[in-house]
Amino acid sequence: MVQINFALKEVNCKIVFYGPGMSGKTTNLEIVHQKAPEENKGELTSISTDGDRTLFFDFMPLDLGNVAGMRTKFQLYTVPGQVYYNSTRKLVLQGVDGVIFVADSDPEKMPENIESYQNLIDNLTEYGKDIRELPHVIQYNKRDLPNAMSVEEMDRQMNKFGVPTFEAVAYTGEGVFPTLKTLAGMVLESIDRMDSRSSKRPAAEAPRTAAPAARGAQPTRTAAPAAQKKPAAAPQRAAAAPATQRAAAAPATRTAPAKAAAAAPATAATAKLKTPAARTPATPARPTTAAQAAPATRRPGMPAPRAAQPAPKKGGGMAMVVGLSVLLIAAAAGVVWFFSSNNLL
Amino acid sequence: MGNPNKMSRNEKLRHDRLTFYKDDIEQIDKLLAEFLRLSGAKCALLIDKEGHLVTKRGELRTIDIDTISALVAGSFAATKEMARLLGEEEFTAMYHQGERDNIQLGLVGDRTLLTILFDDRTTVGMVRLYANETAKKLADIYRASQERHGDDPGLGEAYGQDAKKSLDKLFD
Ligand SMILES: Nc1nc2c(ncn2[C@@H]2O[C@H](COP(=O)(O)OP(=O)(O)OP(=O)(O)O)[C@@H](O)[C@H]2O)c(=O)[nH]1
Ligand SMILES: [Mg+2]
Repeated sequence: MVQINFALKEVNCKIVFYGPGMSGKTTNLEIVHQKAPEENKGELTSISTDGDRTLFFDFMPLDLGNVAGMRTKFQLYTVPGQVYYNSTRKLVLQGVDGVIFVADSDPEKMPENIESYQNLIDNLTEYGKDIRELPHVIQYNKRDLPNAMSVEEMDRQMNKFGVPTFEAVAYTGEGVFPTLKTLAGMVLESIDRMDSRSSKRPAAEAPRTAAPAARGAQPTRTAAPAAQKKPAAAPQRAAAAPATQRAAAAPATRTAPAKAAAAAPATAATAKLKTPAARTPATPARPTTAAQAAPATRRPGMPAPRAAQPAPKKGGGMAMVVGLSVLLIAAAAGVVWFFSSNNLL
Repeated sequence: MGNPNKMSRNEKLRHDRLTFYKDDIEQIDKLLAEFLRLSGAKCALLIDKEGHLVTKRGELRTIDIDTISALVAGSFAATKEMARLLGEEEFTAMYHQGERDNIQLGLVGDRTLLTILFDDRTTVGMVRLYANETAKKLADIYRASQERHGDDPGLGEAYGQDAKKSLDKLFD
């Protein structure tokens, strides 16, 4: 939720990149980090597995600068897309002000796109939020795939609420900024609208948030005005292929992570700061940066997150506790590491 | 304020969001300074549950506050969820012990986290004792602020217009 701080003269909003595993959420954020002007961006922090799958979140602050006397900042997060990590995904979604849904254009990933979108709706519902009232856009990523599904077909299957959509090739940077710009505009517009009294703009009570507000950002398709469908009637979970088999089917584009800091004790979960130079968009390879989080966080029996992911979606209480412990250690190590690396302690 | 179920959408959004006014922050800063003096802790950060900084007091060198705030909020959210799964509802604080330095986190007034950094010049007992007192006083400040400012308009008219310009500048 938006924080307005009149003492610091700041407005803070939370934007989340959501979507199925490997759809390119982290890549989007990395591109934003590479390309945003130095004075506007903070560090990119990733709490990820050794295999560079997001474990808890990636985070980066983006400073819009002074807006009408208020320094306006977006806190950008990505969620872990893997089905297994729903408990942490849900935590990242808490208090969200806008969502960029990153869908994979690989036709085989369509069931996962649909399942993940439904998962977004479900998780929002648990926070008492209706997706139709949350500013959000959809990005069709990996348009470079030779067998990419047509945009029309993806729209038909996914875009039930007629939100703005964008084509992207995230790892070359194509489409990344237009997507973010439009969503950021929608978020700021929703803040502005909250402040305009209903007497002033009665129409604002209508479901305008879901309507495309794609000002100047050339969405690939200007979708029809928000359909008044019930969220429940939206994307069917129908033939959602169980994502539990995905580990084996990792795309060839991801090469094994280079263990730059192989000397350090292997940590199953590391919180690492990535510098802009750490990755180049053209190479899908993911060199691990030298900075490894506080060592010795590996515990016997810690699940290797990239391997088997047989966790049940609901009710797997113990599995969730284990999952949360893992990420908690990662996050705590991140906090401690962060302070010590800043010579704060 | 009132019953969230009966509010219009815009009212609800205003109700949900967190607004901190200058006079509140001045009071909070005083309280935190007093806390540091009494407890002997080095630094206090007040962070909202979404991971945005509210205010800070104490020794802080150049440090990326946005990042630490996000990590603290994430780590607290995860711990709390874990406690909930284990059937512990009243979970409100956590503590990280370092070799020499320590971090104490506590929930304040449901929406903010008080993050305290301290070293061996004091003890966790002292820090907790005064942190609890401070948390209660902070909650009072929030409540009083809600009552005073409950229905204030937020950002002026110019905000929306100016926001558009800033977006164009950043993204083009
Ligand atoms: N072909 C193609 N590959 C891409 C594109 N964008 C990202 N990738 C690759 O897709 C893989 C997954 O990207 P990530 O950004 O890590 O995916 P993610 O959505 O963060 O995945 P999780 O963290 O597991 O949820 C990486 O190998 C990327 O290089 C794209 O536009 N086209
Ligand atoms: Mg990721």
